[in-house]
Amino acid sequence: MECVREHDIVDAVASGRWPHACDPSLAAHAAECDICRDVVTVAVALRDDAFDARHEARLPSAGLVWWRATIRARAEASRVAERPLTVAQGIAGACAVGLAFGLAGFAWQSVQRFERLGEILAGLDASTLQFASSSASILQRALPLVLGLGACLLIAPIAVYLVLSDD
Amino acid sequence: MTFSEIERLGAAVGEADEAFHMDEDAFRVFYERTARPVWAYLSRMTGDARLADDLLQETYYRFLRAGGTHESDAHRRNYLFRIATNLVHDHRRRPRADRVEMTEQIEAADARLDSNAAHIAERTVRRLDLARAMGRLKPRERDMLWLAYANGSSHQEIADALGLKRASIKLLLFRARRRLANLLRDSGA
Repeated sequence: MECVREHDIVDAVASGRWPHACDPSLAAHAAECDICRDVVTVAVALRDDAFDARHEARLPSAGLVWWRATIRARAEASRVAERPLTVAQGIAGACAVGLAFGLAGFAWQSVQRFERLGEILAGLDASTLQFASSSASILQRALPLVLGLGACLLIAPIAVYLVLSDD
Repeated sequence: MTFSEIERLGAAVGEADEAFHMDEDAFRVFYERTARPVWAYLSRMTGDARLADDLLQETYYRFLRAGGTHESDAHRRNYLFRIATNLVHDHRRRPRADRVEMTEQIEAADARLDSNAAHIAERTVRRLDLARAMGRLKPRERDMLWLAYANGSSHQEIADALGLKRASIKLLLFRARRRLANLLRDSGA
């Protein structure tokens, strides 16, 4: 599996001494030894190919590789730093949407109550006292709706700012 | 974007500069010494010179970001080859459609190397034989043989680069070498 002279042959090939400038006994040994013959065949082929490959390489300068790496590291650092902000914005957006749905449901209930009040009003007498009492009742019941709309007007700009602030 | 966000991002950019474990001057020296062998390795193991360019950049980027201390320059170099090996393995797992075979690029590369027509022909035949023979080996055998005979890596260095046990390298290398030698002899190289 391993020959004692294998490393000498690898060294001779790697240093360019093989086959003419190396110890003649080494060349004679390689001709006789199966393992060393394989080593010579493979090592010479790969050494030549590596030589070609290193010469055909059109490498970017060290400065360019460094600069690209720096730019990429900065981009990644920015992305990492932005991640919590994006999460916070997403939560704010979701809260705003939830709040809007909640207020819409509340407003819808108020509207339904308002319609029922209209039916009650139709059954009332036309006396002034009764009319004033009914008006006060209507205003009292519509108050949550008015407050809800007011809250929407206040919250909507804040929610829009939080959602769109990354622009 | 608010002012506090800008401040946070500015701090992140500053941290990016400090994220590399090597300064630019040290990197230049290291790069000049290692880039050609790394590119040659990537080029021959992927069979695609353009891909090797991309992987070279990626290799050095990962190396710079990796951090940690290296006992010696040889250790640092081994670590670089380990990153390159992992990138080559990742590439091999991708579908074959976007790969270019090594043999397709050999003639174009050789035309740049030498103006002597006979030399080019001989070299081209030799490289084609080697490329075909290497193509018939297992990826790990290719990596191992290249590191051992093109790079001159020791068994320990090969084990470090490929993530194998040192004790198993001798046998694996022997088998890989025997296979490649037989393939090369059969092709007349």
